[in-house]
Amino acid sequence: MSQPEILNQAFELGYTYTRSTGPVVGRFLTELKKRNIVGIKASDGRVVVPPMEYDPDTAAELSEFVQVGQQGEIVSFAWVKEPRAAHPMQVPFAWAMIKLDGADVPMIHCVAAAAESDIATGARVRAVWADETIGFITDIRCFELV
Amino acid sequence: MANLAAVVGIGQTKYTTKRTDVSIAGLVREAAVNALKDADLTWNDIDAVIVGKAPDMFEGVIMPEIYLTDALGCNGKPMLRVHTAGSVGGSTALVAASHVQSGTFKRVLTVSFEKQSESNAMWALSNPQPFSTHLNAGAGGYFAPIIREYMRRSKAPYNVGIKVAVKDRLHGARNPLAHLQKPDITMQEVEDSFMLWDPIRFLESCPSSDGACAMVIANEELATKAPKPPAWIRGVAMRSEPTMYAGRDEVNPQAGRDCAADVYKQAGITNPRKDLDCAEVYVPFSWYEPMWLENLGFAPKGEGWKLTMAGATSLDEGGDIPWNCSGGVLSSNPIGASGMIRFAEAARQVRGDAGAHQVEGAKLALGHAYGGGAQFFAMWVVGSQKS
Repeated sequence: MSQPEILNQAFELGYTYTRSTGPVVGRFLTELKKRNIVGIKASDGRVVVPPMEYDPDTAAELSEFVQVGQQGEIVSFAWVKEPRAAHPMQVPFAWAMIKLDGADVPMIHCVAAAAESDIATGARVRAVWADETIGFITDIRCFELV
Repeated sequence: MANLAAVVGIGQTKYTTKRTDVSIAGLVREAAVNALKDADLTWNDIDAVIVGKAPDMFEGVIMPEIYLTDALGCNGKPMLRVHTAGSVGGSTALVAASHVQSGTFKRVLTVSFEKQSESNAMWALSNPQPFSTHLNAGAGGYFAPIIREYMRRSKAPYNVGIKVAVKDRLHGARNPLAHLQKPDITMQEVEDSFMLWDPIRFLESCPSSDGACAMVIANEELATKAPKPPAWIRGVAMRSEPTMYAGRDEVNPQAGRDCAADVYKQAGITNPRKDLDCAEVYVPFSWYEPMWLENLGFAPKGEGWKLTMAGATSLDEGGDIPWNCSGGVLSSNPIGASGMIRFAEAARQVRGDAGAHQVEGAKLALGHAYGGGAQFFAMWVVGSQKS
């Protein structure tokens, strides 16, 4: 029996978009450019990093920014043994939930470490800034173990 | 028999080219907060939220309803997203209304939006597909030949569209929320504007706007207690038909005629021009006014343009059936919201709350939206009285 011919056609769909980040996410990104990390105080007093525009419980508009530390501790992590081209590092690294000092919820970022065995829940890490900051989350190049 | 429901709160943003000061969530939130204020309510008074917007590819935010949960106070509440292309603002309002009319919820918030400045609405309308010829047309390119066919059939003079373009902008100049503010616009100015998609000139086309519109819809008991006059929902209807099939009449779509007949029957309307006090109808390109005047039964076939030229649809000329007193889609077009703005503006009229574009003593109004290749239709009739 002959195999059916499979039709192929190259197909790529792409559009250009812009974004206005607004007063809250915009402030977070602007502070990153200045090598600062800010969170926002929620209605129950928790400090949320990155900051969110509206309270998760009451839906109130949030506006009280809080500067948080550039160090924190790992709450949870996943080790990436074989990084792919789209990953932020081309050597093995960890994705981690990091609770920064002064924050009440963890934020996800990447952690540089020589080996998986160096990483643990509770380990202390600090932000490593990019040489040039532009107001984007990658201004924090990664976190490293303290 | 459905339960009675009414619009008890309306909120809009000022329509404009670019709202760079707010995120998409911030824009949507602004309209929602304005609607709650208008109804003298808080987030806690809302049982469910119904969101609508045009195709995700416009802004490239896939499933925006997920991202908007916090902004719309939806935590712990049902949330539903509606999607019917350009008519979505209208069908979103109808889905919201049906949740109240069915008795499922007592009071719902419905919101629709578009941030055209951050989107690619022109080309994301007709995405290329593998093994298909690419249509490669924006809305104007798609509708231009349909308009030309209307002109041929009706033998309308060339300047009917020009007249609509002027009339709706003069209406828009009465509405501080309208995007285009052109109180001095003239027929000559429209005629001299460049031809975009023959026969549609630049000033015969809608603008690209950022904006959001929201309404609170409540059941009879709560609407009766509302602080401001409610707009009672007297009829609701949606119809659709395939974009392309042999024999489809794109100039006067069957789905539009059927949808109008359905909504009129519910509202007890036998002569729309006489029975209605005004209408907010989706007219993104000027010639769609005479076309829809016929499709919606305000004029016999081939004679819609005569109403337009006689000033029957003009507030400024004291017409008997003013269309698009708010300025319409020709004055503001945040696509996903445009249909809901028509529905909300119809409600403002019968609440007596339309400011400088109020039709004196309006008691019964039509809100209309169409979308896709003129294949989705959504309409409602609202009244100052329950029946």
